[in-house]
Amino acid sequence: MVSRTLSVSKPKVAKRKQPELIRNAPAYAMCIPSLLYFLLFSYIPMAGIVLVFKDYNVVDGIFGSPWTDPWYNNFRFFFSSSRVLEVTCNTLILNLFFLVTSLVCQMGLAILLNELRISSIKKLSQSIVFLPYFMSWVVVGGIVYSFFSNEYGVVNSTLRSLGMEPVKWYQSPQYWRTILIIAHIWKWTGYGSVIYMAAIMGIDPTLYESATIDGANRFKQAWLITVPLLKPTAVILVLMSIGRIFFGDFGMVYGIARDNGIILENIEVIDTYVYRSMRVTGDFSLSTAIGMYQSFMGLVLLTLANWVAKKINDGTGLF
Amino acid sequence: MAKEKASIRVPIGDKIFRAISYVICIIFALACLYPLLLVLAVSFSQEYYIGLYGYRLIPYEFSLDTYRYIFRTSGLDFLRSFGISVGVMVTGTLTSLLVTVPLAYVLSLKSIKYRNALSFYCYFTTIFSAGLVPWYITCVRIYNLSDTFWALFLPYAVSVFFMFVLRSSFAQLPEEIVEAAKIDGAGEVAILFRIAIPLTVTPIITVGFLYALQYWNDWYLTLMFINNRMLYPLQFRLYSILTNTEGLSAAQAQSAAGYMQVPTETVKMATTVLTIMPILFLYPFVQRYFVQGITIGAVKG
Repeated sequence: MVSRTLSVSKPKVAKRKQPELIRNAPAYAMCIPSLLYFLLFSYIPMAGIVLVFKDYNVVDGIFGSPWTDPWYNNFRFFFSSSRVLEVTCNTLILNLFFLVTSLVCQMGLAILLNELRISSIKKLSQSIVFLPYFMSWVVVGGIVYSFFSNEYGVVNSTLRSLGMEPVKWYQSPQYWRTILIIAHIWKWTGYGSVIYMAAIMGIDPTLYESATIDGANRFKQAWLITVPLLKPTAVILVLMSIGRIFFGDFGMVYGIARDNGIILENIEVIDTYVYRSMRVTGDFSLSTAIGMYQSFMGLVLLTLANWVAKKINDGTGLF
Repeated sequence: MAKEKASIRVPIGDKIFRAISYVICIIFALACLYPLLLVLAVSFSQEYYIGLYGYRLIPYEFSLDTYRYIFRTSGLDFLRSFGISVGVMVTGTLTSLLVTVPLAYVLSLKSIKYRNALSFYCYFTTIFSAGLVPWYITCVRIYNLSDTFWALFLPYAVSVFFMFVLRSSFAQLPEEIVEAAKIDGAGEVAILFRIAIPLTVTPIITVGFLYALQYWNDWYLTLMFINNRMLYPLQFRLYSILTNTEGLSAAQAQSAAGYMQVPTETVKMATTVLTIMPILFLYPFVQRYFVQGITIGAVKG
């Protein structure tokens, strides 16, 4: 038995003496440009992480700059600056709110859109709610300005016409978390509902038919059939956002608040903080250290989320 | 449809639920549309009335003054920015597709021994990164990307997410076709261009549009690498006008010192309109591609 299998497989091995890498060389060669891209823009910068143990100055460059005296000097922000903890909290709070509002609004809208029977209204509203996804955050920033501009904004005009005191929005940090959440809902609900709609299309229609026969109305069907069957999709989306919970949306925060330090107070996320401290104070080493801390936390959270996804999904994780 | 007609009487509970669905969906759609209409309306208003009554949905007096003003004072700047935006979008999208498509195809082949390792090599960049500062220093000090056209698209050349969207589309190709072509003596490159790409046109166009939108809407790379105003794409021109740190151009400073009132408010909104106009025109034609791309990406990405 053993000898027979050997004798059969032996010529095969001899024939395939050429290593796979050479046999498929053209295929591997086709990948080179993109692999080079990842090398240049992701892996080579990783060497720059040594900056966290250096006192960076422009003249000496990354590798020429001297080492910091106590090796942890660039991590002193953990103890001395409470701002890093503040922006971490901002990032987590904003992302948690985004997570919950996305889940509710996106799934809710998809279920409601699915109830529409007049196809012209259904198509038109689908098209319209998907439109904000195509707007850049700078455009959203312009829109937010048109609403909340102190002198001319729609909101203040409305307040004035109602005989109420107008609010100086761009000088009041306390409102901006809510404004960002609304902007986030505006931009992403249509996008997310596309995902949930696709999942709803995949649900077996006989489930609804038998539910109708059993006397369940449409609302009960949505609540007892659609929502539970959308759970796997929702779980994946939620886990993906949990994995990225330490990463703020730079484009959103900076596109809407721009460099306005006053309103950034409550909405400054780690990403904008690193950028601003790099650009304003020019302390590259410290900024690298904060970025490093963020990447590390991100890696931990992503691995965790992936592990949970694997547990739930019988082995298929997020990546 | 047939099911609808077959049911003789819709129960009252269903009617109420359906009515509520219509109301909420229509209200939300209007809420999505209203800000865009507002911006459009203000851009067609006169600065004088904005000063008096603030922004409003129906212009007091329809006028093209703002657009005339923009084209008189900084028409060339706008045209240049528009050209750069289009140039970045076209060059960027073509580069990205040229680089992403072969990778996605190769990673979809089961015959490639190291495909999992290569996938991980790509995927790892999304779960761990060096962070902003080392990336910035590398791009500026080593690659000298500051104030170059390259800086506006090279750092975004490959999107791992879009690559996986394409990979799952390629993976659906029947293996027999590829095997048959191999027996006929076709190499991997020939198979990709002669067989795989023609059979995957729609997903490739979809990813192309996703890339194009990414490049059109980007202003982050400009914020990072571009100081030369001549290289500003449209998005960043809008950004700097909204920021108010710099006005439209030198012409504006002159006219501000002179007799003419500068329509700063309506200019902001008119610039926004000019920035989103191309998207609004293309939207009806490209929408279905995006729906498709998002669906593939969400299910299998």
